[in-house]
Amino acid sequence: MEIPEDLKNQMLGLNIVLGALQSATGEICKSCIGLEGARTKVGKMVKKLGMDLDTASISCEKTKADLQARIDTLSKAAEELKVAEECECQKTAGNCKLGEVCFVTAGVDLMKLVP
Amino acid sequence: MAKARCGRILGEDIYIEEGDTTTLYFVNQLRVYQVVLAAFKALDQDICHDGCSLPSIVNKVIKRLGKLKNDLAASDVAAEKKESLLSKVDSFLADANRLPQDTSQTCRKSAGECIIGSGCFATGALNLIDIIEPKAPKI
Repeated sequence: MEIPEDLKNQMLGLNIVLGALQSATGEICKSCIGLEGARTKVGKMVKKLGMDLDTASISCEKTKADLQARIDTLSKAAEELKVAEECECQKTAGNCKLGEVCFVTAGVDLMKLVP
Repeated sequence: MAKARCGRILGEDIYIEEGDTTTLYFVNQLRVYQVVLAAFKALDQDICHDGCSLPSIVNKVIKRLGKLKNDLAASDVAAEKKESLLSKVDSFLADANRLPQDTSQTCRKSAGECIIGSGCFATGALNLIDIIEPKAPKI
């Protein structure tokens, strides 16, 4: 199949990142600006993926439609990430004591593995 | 001593006493395993399911969760809290055991299917566990 490599890699990566973020919504991260920011960032990545697909030279209509369907699924997963209306950094709130790091941010950074 | 919320694991809010770094270590480990296992489940839906890296990483996670369980059992964490956290470790172990563990399959890079380059999502997700604090207490 003539799927551009970068599209394929980004789809794989976003699926994993969204899985991790989905899990974080069941955590105290649900009320955290870290997760709120991650949702925005990942939402933009998915949107860009859709734009890249639009401009990609894929002659087979079925392949393109299949890819679009996968992107739609990712987009829906990003939209459905449940984040509280009022968010604040849970470290600042004194609830998150992970140290300096944030596993939500680090989870999104997995996308940096995509060349 | 005052208790403070420090996480939510498997739907349960977790509170610990201020300054109790031993319990905090185990809570934070479980917090990150919760997220990492979700990433592995997502990987398992993709080509990684048929590769060798994900099973190899899953085997590592099973070992590490086993060690975490032993360390928690041997720790001075309060009995009631220990029991609650141990049941969560068991739940994560059960989740991990449902993931692929057969390392005899061909790496998806060698098979020409994984074209991510030198990186590996499974390894990257595993590394999330090592970035959090506090580090392991002496048990």
